[in-house]
Amino acid sequence: MQVPEQNIKYYVIGFYFLLIATWQVMFWASLVLDYLFPSPLQVATRLWELAADNYLWPSVKATFQRMGIGFSIAASVGLVIGLLMGTSRVVNSCLRSLFLGLQTLPSAAWVPVSLLLFGLSDKGIYFVIIMSSLPAVAIATSDGISHIPIIYLRVARTLGTPGWAMPTRVMLPAALPSIVTGLKLGWTLAWHGGVSAELIKSSIGLGYLLYMGRELNDASQVIGIMVLTILFGLLLDRFVFGLIQQRIRIRWGLAQQA
Amino acid sequence: MPTTGSRPVKLKLTDITKTYANGSHTIEALQPVSVEVLDGEFVVFFGPSGCGKSTLLNIIAGFETPTEGTVTLDNQTVKGPHHDRLMLFQEHGLFPWLNVIENVMYGLKRKFRFKPHARRGTARQFLQMVHLEQFEHTPIHALSGGMKQRVALARALAPDPKVLLVDEPFPALDALTRAKLYGDLQEIFMRTRKTIVLVTHDPREAACLGDRVLVFSGRPGKIKADIRIDLPRLREINDPAVGAYAATILSHLESPADAGA
Repeated sequence: MQVPEQNIKYYVIGFYFLLIATWQVMFWASLVLDYLFPSPLQVATRLWELAADNYLWPSVKATFQRMGIGFSIAASVGLVIGLLMGTSRVVNSCLRSLFLGLQTLPSAAWVPVSLLLFGLSDKGIYFVIIMSSLPAVAIATSDGISHIPIIYLRVARTLGTPGWAMPTRVMLPAALPSIVTGLKLGWTLAWHGGVSAELIKSSIGLGYLLYMGRELNDASQVIGIMVLTILFGLLLDRFVFGLIQQRIRIRWGLAQQA
Repeated sequence: MPTTGSRPVKLKLTDITKTYANGSHTIEALQPVSVEVLDGEFVVFFGPSGCGKSTLLNIIAGFETPTEGTVTLDNQTVKGPHHDRLMLFQEHGLFPWLNVIENVMYGLKRKFRFKPHARRGTARQFLQMVHLEQFEHTPIHALSGGMKQRVALARALAPDPKVLLVDEPFPALDALTRAKLYGDLQEIFMRTRKTIVLVTHDPREAACLGDRVLVFSGRPGKIKADIRIDLPRLREINDPAVGAYAATILSHLESPADAGA
């Protein structure tokens, strides 16, 4: 069955409605134990209470602040390291295997070492965010640069671009599609790492609310914060990085205009 | 037609050879080639693929170094790429992160370092020359193939190079667009009196565009003939006189006798 493109969104909305409805019906039919697995209504109510008691907003703000600062540092340092890797074979050979190795490490695995290094301070959360996302950004940047069509570099050289200006005027712009893909992946990994670190190291933030929910045996809060975490992650992925990526791919001639 | 006697030599290639190492043995891509291109002359390197004509163009541009021999421009030995020899590439090579006029302005950064206004003005003139002045702010992906090639031409001309190098620029275009571009290129040549070296494997294109056509044979590449095209400009690609010259050019390629060696 061929569904017209513009109708797909109704199917998506229908799917989620069905998912939530099934969940609610299972609850009403007592197929799940309510103290272990709450209903969508209970979850929504709990989130509403958290928001009304002014717990939710400061935590969301704190998480986004940490993510913003940590990810900005990771992205800038990752870009510079990626640029060095992309332009120097020696640097690339040394760092590539190291970063690929680090990338296989689950984000949460950085939490114990950050506790050892930084104790319970916020610095440790930044550390986890940076270490989770930096390798992805660096590798994507270096891949992007080493795959720049040679013609761009030749054109730039003959048009009198001095060597020091090549990275900013040609290499980074030419590698932008790959860099944005790396930033998108890096953001997801940073989000994993940040929330994992907040579980253990913080007294505010989405991760902290998740942890508190478990401490208080409040399943509604646990599920509610999980849903929020997923929603925020998804929104940024789709509507910030996804849209930028799509625009760049069209502009660079890698994708057709929708 | 201006005669050769009065004009100075612009570009001089002396005994250029190129060999590539391939494991234990070497591949000879170019046998000693010597060419003199006069100031304001339109010279075409014609030959089958693999005859070394593109290698020679890359050597002039400075992208490749000759194994032996020298290239001089205005009696100065050429070393590496430089904006006095700009190349119009087969795959235009326009920067997708810049729009049309920004691409043309790119090569003017050096000349008008702190004068963006002057850059824009000059870039506009060259966009007018290729009839694209109303597409200043268009992103590159929105242009057709022929328009892209014309922007690339404007970009290569804007920094006022001493020699324009053209590497098979039109193969991917349809016949109508090509015919238009042949006209544009000749108009620009007549207006700017720029020295141009163009590489092609199309005998008709060679006869239509060149003041002189050097016929290369492969491999290793060497020059078999040096043919003067005595036709007034603008020449039409479908003009029978152009066709006759194209036949002459082809006959030199097919004849077994080595005219040059």
